[in-house]
Amino acid sequence: MISLTHFLITSAALFSIGLYMVVAKKNAIQVLIGIELILNAAILNLVAFGRYDKLNNNGQTFALFAIVLAAATTAVALAIILNVYRKYKTIEPDSINQLKD
Amino acid sequence: MPLAAFVFNALALNKKSAVAGWVSTLAILVSTVCAVNVFARVWDSESYIHQQQVWFTIGATKVYVGLLLNNLSVLLLLLVSVIALPVHIYGMAYMKGDPHFGRYFTYLSLFCFSMLALVVADNLILVYAFWELVGFSSYLLIGFWNTRDKAVLANKKAFIMNRIGDIGLLAAIVTLFAQFGTFDIDALFGQHGLISQATIQDGAWVTAMGISMPAVWQWVACIGIFMAVAAKSAQFPLHTWLPDAMEGPTSVSALIHAATMVAAGVFLLGRFFPLFSETQLMVLAVIGCFTAFMAATIALTQNDLKRVLAYSTISQLGFMVMAMGIGAYASSLFHLVTHAFFKCLLFLSAGIIIHEMQHLKDEHQLDIDPQNILYMGGLRKKLPFTFVVCVIAACALIGLPLTSGFLSKDGILIQSFEWAGHHGGIWYLIPVFSIISSMLTAFYISRLIFKVFFGEFEPEKANPHIHPHFTDGGLAYKIPLAFLALSCFFPIFSFNPFSYESAWVVKGLTLAEHGGEADLLHTIIPVGITLVSIGIIYWAYNIYVSPNRKLFPQDTFLFKLSYNEWFIDSFYNNAIVKGTLSLSGALFWIDKTVIDGFVGLLQNIVLTLASITKWLDKYIVDGFLHTLAATTVAISNFVRGFQNGRVQYYLFSMMAVLLAFFIYKILI
Repeated sequence: MISLTHFLITSAALFSIGLYMVVAKKNAIQVLIGIELILNAAILNLVAFGRYDKLNNNGQTFALFAIVLAAATTAVALAIILNVYRKYKTIEPDSINQLKD
Repeated sequence: MPLAAFVFNALALNKKSAVAGWVSTLAILVSTVCAVNVFARVWDSESYIHQQQVWFTIGATKVYVGLLLNNLSVLLLLLVSVIALPVHIYGMAYMKGDPHFGRYFTYLSLFCFSMLALVVADNLILVYAFWELVGFSSYLLIGFWNTRDKAVLANKKAFIMNRIGDIGLLAAIVTLFAQFGTFDIDALFGQHGLISQATIQDGAWVTAMGISMPAVWQWVACIGIFMAVAAKSAQFPLHTWLPDAMEGPTSVSALIHAATMVAAGVFLLGRFFPLFSETQLMVLAVIGCFTAFMAATIALTQNDLKRVLAYSTISQLGFMVMAMGIGAYASSLFHLVTHAFFKCLLFLSAGIIIHEMQHLKDEHQLDIDPQNILYMGGLRKKLPFTFVVCVIAACALIGLPLTSGFLSKDGILIQSFEWAGHHGGIWYLIPVFSIISSMLTAFYISRLIFKVFFGEFEPEKANPHIHPHFTDGGLAYKIPLAFLALSCFFPIFSFNPFSYESAWVVKGLTLAEHGGEADLLHTIIPVGITLVSIGIIYWAYNIYVSPNRKLFPQDTFLFKLSYNEWFIDSFYNNAIVKGTLSLSGALFWIDKTVIDGFVGLLQNIVLTLASITKWLDKYIVDGFLHTLAATTVAISNFVRGFQNGRVQYYLFSMMAVLLAFFIYKILI
């Protein structure tokens, strides 16, 4: 029997992996993948907690919205990455340090 | 009248170098004429001239400047100019060829000017100023040959001695001003002046205005005056400068000793005469008498021509001061006048002798001292004119009848007997000693005359080949000498050659009629003194001239005492000069070790303190700041590490902080 706890552990693992990727990866695409993982961990939590609302299925509805939004943000993020690449000829986050003064 | 006086003062001050001799002589001639004129108007006219103008004002005190011409000052005025005139004429011949001819006359004019101004000055400040000027110009003249070490030493000595006197005068003036509030001589010492109205009551000195101060101040004033007189008129114990002052040109010696410098002291005494009380006059008499006696004994054995004359001057000045002391005011000044003439004459003839001796020495390269009378002798035939005037002056100095010295000196002696008669007892010592001094005078001056003019000429005896061709000099020498010699005779002063009271000088100056005259004394003393003097002269002739001469033993104590001038000079040298020097040495040592040591210690302390402060500054104050700065730098560097522009690092930091918060939350 798969209980709520399993879902939550999986979600936490996904979140941690995503966070790790966001912080540590040397490629902006991989960082984007990490962001997706964190998003999916959140969606998994929404779906898992959705069983307490069997009447309206609000959890599932939010998850759908989130997936759509994630697709949109991913498209925007890819566009940004493309522009960054054009400007810097690289997509390694470490070498793009113009944010400092 | 004051205008004329001012004109001659200005003229006397004239300082031209090229024709200085003529200018000075002319100036002094004009002053002489003016002085005669002034004298004729003021003398015995029962009035005096007192002109003054405000000089400056200090607070409520007005200081006047002006002239005061009474019998005393016109007498001195006349005397100074009349003596200065022949000295100037003589000096023109005497100093001829000297490279500093102009300087000589400039100094001489300054000297005459200050002396003339001193006698006419009407207030104490002016008197002090000109007193100083007289001292200063005599300093210049004594050291005229400033390349000679001895002359420089002598003028330094004269100056220092005079400074001692100046301090006394200043103290006296200040005391008098504090007491009476005025510098005016006439107001102070006049007929009904403040001094005569001031009395001493219960140990307090009270003026007519009722101001009183302790009686000791009256003594201070008198002692101050006495110091000044002693320094200027060469009284014991400040007399030693005068013999040394012989280093100056001889004509200067004549002027200083005869008419001006030494007369200034007696003149001052005459001005301040009312100030002295009975006791103080006695002190004066004793000191004067002692000086006269001491100087006469010293003059007995001196071999330097000019030193003999110098000690003779001191001795005569002692007579004058003594006469002041016994109240013989007029006789004292009379003696001052007569002495001025014959002593000036003696000096000027000594100048001729020395001049000729110097020539002889230079001509033949002789090893002689031109001033030493032992090297002279027999000059009677070589310098007949000088011999005659010298003998006249010597007779006047001894006080033989028919000369002026007879009148004045016997006046003093007679009055000293009268005075002693009033006081009795031990005070008879004063006339006795003055008579002894007078006898000594006769002896030493005859010794001088005999040694110089009689016997054989010593250098000629030693080197027979030399033939000195001495001359008495031209008219420039002869006229002054003849004039002065004429002034040594009685008719100039009195038509009665045997009575000093009939001399006009005495008549004009006598302060009060003195009572019953002891007629016996008046005949016995002059006759006795004259006889004894003649005896002494004969004795001296026997000793020094006649073939069977007997020499004095030269190793007795008395001889040494006299020859070494009573050891006063060496005493001063040992006691005062050396004392001062060793005191200075001690002070120097104290300065060096104690004061400098203390300063050094202080310096070390300060240095240590400074280094401690420096350490504190460096390690505490600076250290604090440095730590602060370093901390800030470290924090900044630490914080800057986060701002590296890398997005992932930012994110990581955020997570770390968030995590830290959570951990913190959980733990607490």
